[in-house]
Amino acid sequence: MSPDEKFFAWLDGELSGAEAAEMEAKVAADPELGHLAEQHRALGGKLKSVFDQVAEAPVPKHLIETVRPPAQVIDFQAAKNAREPRRSWPAAAQWAAMAATLVLGFFAGTFTPRYDNAPVKVQDGAIYASASLNQALSSELASAPASGPVRIGLTYRDQTGAICRTFTEAKSSGLACRNGAGWQLRGLFPAPEGQADAYRMAAGMDSNLAALVDSSIAGDPFDPAQEKAARRQGWK
Amino acid sequence: MDQPLSFEDGLVELLPRLRRFANALTRSPADADDLVQMAIERALRSQCQWQPGTRLDSWVYRIMRNLWIDTVRSRSRKETFEAPPEEAEQVGEDPSGTLEASADLKRVMGAMQQLPEEQREVVALILIEGFGYKEVSEMLDLPIGTVSSRLVRGRTALLTMVGDR
Repeated sequence: MSPDEKFFAWLDGELSGAEAAEMEAKVAADPELGHLAEQHRALGGKLKSVFDQVAEAPVPKHLIETVRPPAQVIDFQAAKNAREPRRSWPAAAQWAAMAATLVLGFFAGTFTPRYDNAPVKVQDGAIYASASLNQALSSELASAPASGPVRIGLTYRDQTGAICRTFTEAKSSGLACRNGAGWQLRGLFPAPEGQADAYRMAAGMDSNLAALVDSSIAGDPFDPAQEKAARRQGWK
Repeated sequence: MDQPLSFEDGLVELLPRLRRFANALTRSPADADDLVQMAIERALRSQCQWQPGTRLDSWVYRIMRNLWIDTVRSRSRKETFEAPPEEAEQVGEDPSGTLEASADLKRVMGAMQQLPEEQREVVALILIEGFGYKEVSEMLDLPIGTVSSRLVRGRTALLTMVGDR
C-alpha cells in the first residue's frame, strides 16, 4: 500500500491497531496531512448527503411493482402476460360451454360434467373445482407466474371465515371458496362476447364477480405474504 | 411471529439504495431508474442463484454494476467515450420528472461523470454506499490493492472538482 493509500485507508476506518495509531499520530503531527484529511472528510460527507437525496426520495411506483406486483389480479396479469407467453387451455371449449350454461345455477345437483378432466365436479349437490382448476386454486399464487392456464386473482377470507379465491382463465372468471378439502364454486362468469382472450381482459374484473367478492369479503384481500402463508397452512 | 424477509421484500427494501448507486454511476436520474429496473428484473430472474443467508445487497449491487458495465461497453462501441458537449448540459436532468435533482446533485453527478468508470464505481460503493474495501474487492472481483488505488485516484480528482477549498 502506498503512503497515500494508507492515509486514505486510515481515513476510511480500514486500518486497525498499531497501523491506525501510527497514521493518526502522523496526521496529528503534520498540518498539511491534517488539512487533507479534513478536506476529504468534507468531500465524503458532501457526496453522501447529496446522493442521500436520491435514497430519501420516494421510489417510483413502477419499480416497486416490478418486484411486488399489486395484489389486484388484473394489473398483475397484464404485467405478467407481457412477460410470459400465454398457454392455451387444452379444453377451453369446455369452459366456454360451462360458463355459458352454468352461471350461478350451481346447486341444482343435476349437472354432470361429461369429461374426465373437467375443471369442476359435483359433490353432495354442490360444485367443486377439479383437475387443473383445483390444482391452480390450491397451489398458485397471484404473486408468482401461473404455471398453467388458470390465473389466480384475489385471495381473501369471507364472512364465514373461509378462504376464497378469484380466478380467470381463457373464457371465464369465477370465485371458489375453501370447503373442507376442496374448493366450492360460488360463481363462474363467461368472458364478454367478442373477448376472445380473457387474459386481455385487463381492464377490470367481471362486474358480477366483483359484486360477488364485495358481498362476501370480510376485511381486505390478502397481500402476497398472507397469500403465501395461507397456502402453507393448507387454506384453513 | 417474525418471519424473515422474503426475497421480494428484501429487494423492495433495497430500492432506495439501488437508486442512489445508479445515480452515482449514470448520467441522469432517468438513466439511473432504467438501470435499477434492469437490475431488479435480472435479480428476479436469477433469484435461484442467490443463496439465502448471504447478503442480498452485495448480490444485487453486483448485478447492477455488471449491467452498467455492459451498457457502457455497448455505448462506447457506438460513440466516443466522452459525452458530446451538448449532452453535458443534460447531466442530472430528468425529463420524466422522476426525481428533481438539486443544483448540488447535478453538480456532483457531473463531477462523477468526469471520472473513469473504474474509479467512479469504487468511489460510489465506498464513499457513498458505505461498503468496506474488502466487500468491494469481492463484489468487483478485484484485488484489494486495486480497489484502494482506484479510490485514491477517484477521490483526489473529485476533490479538485467539487471540494470546498
